[in-house]
Amino acid sequence: MSVGHVAREIEAAGIPTVSVYVQAFRHVSEAMGVPRTVVTRHPMGRTLGAPGDVERQHEVIGAALDLLESAQAGGALVELEAPYRPGSLSG
Amino acid sequence: MDESFEEFKTSFSYGSRSDLSFKFLKHLSDEDAAGFLSRMLEQVGEAYDTGDVTGIINVAYEAQVSGYAPDPDEPYHYTYEDRPFAPLRKPLSESRVGLLTSSGHFVAGDDPEPFGVPDMSQQEAHDRIQEFLREAAVLSAIPRDTAEEDLVVRHGGYDTRSALRDPNVTFPRDRLVELEQSGRIGELAATLYSFPGATAQGRVKRSAKEWAAQLAADEVDVLLLVPV
Repeated sequence: MSVGHVAREIEAAGIPTVSVYVQAFRHVSEAMGVPRTVVTRHPMGRTLGAPGDVERQHEVIGAALDLLESAQAGGALVELEAPYRPGSLSG
Repeated sequence: MDESFEEFKTSFSYGSRSDLSFKFLKHLSDEDAAGFLSRMLEQVGEAYDTGDVTGIINVAYEAQVSGYAPDPDEPYHYTYEDRPFAPLRKPLSESRVGLLTSSGHFVAGDDPEPFGVPDMSQQEAHDRIQEFLREAAVLSAIPRDTAEEDLVVRHGGYDTRSALRDPNVTFPRDRLVELEQSGRIGELAATLYSFPGATAQGRVKRSAKEWAAQLAADEVDVLLLVPV
């Protein structure tokens, strides 16, 4: 919920925002009227993807930047379909 | 005395088996929690033979989504009908991009010292979660060129193991630097921000106004927010 408050205040101050939520908290974004949301099918605490999964992290941020460009009104939401996959880090 | 199944489920949420990736178990009905555990064990058996953990991940993911599903009998404290919207001011390739996360990152040597405690450990933050939920959050300023070994994460509300292995899972500084290099964004701001999101909600609402003023002073054109 914290980021929902922050997104609303900063957007109201005139700075466009985009927030990345995991699916489990999508309903928080929707209830709070977060201006722009990208939803990932990732576990809590692994918002952008697995450790070391640079490709997935870029896909998520890329989608967030695309949404900044395409959204025409508040409450815009895009869900990314790709399921979580383990990273390539060892140890 | 024997432990009940209810006590077992609840023990994962700041109890004897505390596990922040699975604290949602206490929100599942006995039937759903039992189903989850049974499906999980079945997938472990599969993984013995195949080495493929996809099934394990899927079962855990689906249970987590159900565990955090909104309770229809408990209306949200913070529901808003309006949807704030500020249009993009200029192309992203010319924009200064800011980053603000609720991941609980800060720079070594600039510890926000919650409750006046120096060098609080992740374990202590976990143990004092109820105090965090009553206090105002401190926003940590993180210079974008902070060395990875100086980037600390501490947050009593989520499993920080991933963020310890790679800060970019909740604080994607390196990815944004790469996007600056490729020209997708104009530049990444000089100062990035983070706070531990498990905090008093009424207070964060007030703090957010100050944080907005700080980002305006930084002349940030757009902001990427990462909740955890």
